[in-house]
Amino acid sequence: MSEFLQHLINMLVLGGTYALLGIGLTLIFGIMNVVNFTHGVLYTFGAYIMFIVVQQLGLNFFLALPVAVVAGWLLGAVIELTLLRPLRGSDIDTTMLVMIGAWIAMQSATLWIWGGVAKSVATPFPEAPLVLGPVSVSWLRLFVLAAAALLIVVTYLLINRTKLGCAMRATFQDQDTASLMGVNVDLIYTSTFAIGSSLAAAAGALLGPVYVIFPQMGDLAAVKAFAIVILGGLGNITGAVIGGFILALAEELGAGYISSGYRDAMGFLIIIAVLIFKPTGLFARSERVG
Amino acid sequence: MLEVHDIVCGYGGVTALRGISLQVQAGQLVALIGANGAGKSTTLRAISGLVPPRSGQMFFDGKEITRARPPRVLASGIAHCPEGRRVFPHMTVEENLDMGAYLRGDSAEVAADRDRIYQEFPRLAERRRQAAGTLSGGEQQMLAIGRALMSRPRLIMFDEPSLGLAPNIVERTFAIIRRIRDAGTTVLLVEQNAFAALEMCDHAYLLENGRIVLAGTGAALIENEHVRKAYLGG
Ligand SMILES: Nc1ncnc2c1ncn2[C@@H]1O[C@H](COP(=O)(O)OP(=O)(O)OP(=O)(O)O)[C@@H](O)[C@H]1O
Ligand SMILES: [Mg+2]
Repeated sequence: MSEFLQHLINMLVLGGTYALLGIGLTLIFGIMNVVNFTHGVLYTFGAYIMFIVVQQLGLNFFLALPVAVVAGWLLGAVIELTLLRPLRGSDIDTTMLVMIGAWIAMQSATLWIWGGVAKSVATPFPEAPLVLGPVSVSWLRLFVLAAAALLIVVTYLLINRTKLGCAMRATFQDQDTASLMGVNVDLIYTSTFAIGSSLAAAAGALLGPVYVIFPQMGDLAAVKAFAIVILGGLGNITGAVIGGFILALAEELGAGYISSGYRDAMGFLIIIAVLIFKPTGLFARSERVG
Repeated sequence: MLEVHDIVCGYGGVTALRGISLQVQAGQLVALIGANGAGKSTTLRAISGLVPPRSGQMFFDGKEITRARPPRVLASGIAHCPEGRRVFPHMTVEENLDMGAYLRGDSAEVAADRDRIYQEFPRLAERRRQAAGTLSGGEQQMLAIGRALMSRPRLIMFDEPSLGLAPNIVERTFAIIRRIRDAGTTVLLVEQNAFAALEMCDHAYLLENGRIVLAGTGAALIENEHVRKAYLGG
């Protein structure tokens, strides 16, 4: 029983960052109809920003997280303006190929700048975990969960309570009509891609210090993000949050009760199972928020 | 008020409009009628900036709007209530109305306008927190009209507002459009229901295959031999 409780705790911690990854990807797909292959690189980028700010510049760990979010936002905006805006109106295959190219180029750039040796980030949290009866959880992981939860809530409020969010949802549901209401659709696209990218960077910045940081770390994260989006339904934000926690649970249980090697296979298994049994995702269209 | 000169436009290889010219005078209700595929919707889409014209010019109150994007056309005072209502299905009634006022900064005035629309359409007030996709066709049409009014347009363009509605709701929709004109807002109305449109309009244009083939008062078009045969069932 205590083992199971421990898995649940781990699931919460992982699930929060997975949800961030999934929300970012599903927003971009839902509003822009772009399959964003650079999502994983943005995750890696966020982790390296952590490394730069904390290890190389010697600045505060808690300052590094907002820096990573803003840097991810800027890089996302640049990618949108330089690669996606000129391709507006071209078919989805072209956009996909360009995004795959951008993924490879950016990953190689990471390798070129920082080398292939894995880096770690020192954290200000005590080594000893917090022990609550039968379960224990590190302070760092608790912080990761709290920060992820905060970012999820902020994103939710942004999309559901602000004018920008209203315009994003309107563009998502009917682009032409949104522009007839006065919405600058180009601006919404850039904002959406920037917000989605900043969430990926935030996820990387949060999980980077938990594990180690290396140029290919984003590849697996991207697969997981795709699994979450497929699970939650394309464009469904609530679905992405729930999907993030389901994937985390599946990974924990797979690693705990089958074999630790199964952890990273769970994302692929989920993609296959959902596509066979419920290709629209687990959650009906009407439940989506954005 | 609105002047359209020799607009040519289309979609990819298809030419939908082959040189359209028309005028809308302030305070009038102008009807644009024609068969399926004649180019009525494309004309409205060209005016509101959704389909950029290949050639020709358009002016609104003397200012050129030929290649203006939809937000700028709306800001200049032209609202477009699109074919098929096109409410945002997953947004609430209230959010839909607020989208209509997207470009306005005067939130107190916006709230007052919203209340006026709720007074006009009590069904919308009852359902203000409901997703627009759950409304009936007639309610969605009222919402689409209300949403277009929320921008406080000086010219409002309706694309087949009667499409797919029950006969009593169609009557009601036409009454609302007449009231909008009587309250001083200029109206450009696209309708398949040619008789109703010609009866209520001040001026009308007949569109065939991307060209204006006839123009005149509604009464004159109703009397016209060709119109009677082709559009009014003899
Ligand atoms: N998105 C599009 N892509 C390609 N061709 C289009 C598109 N929309 C319209 N057309 C073509 O342009 C022409 C004019 O269409 P339009 O929708 O303006 O006609 P309409 O008079 O509004 O017809 P309806 O009464 O059916 O609404 C038609 O030949 C139509 O097939
Ligand atoms: Mg039409």
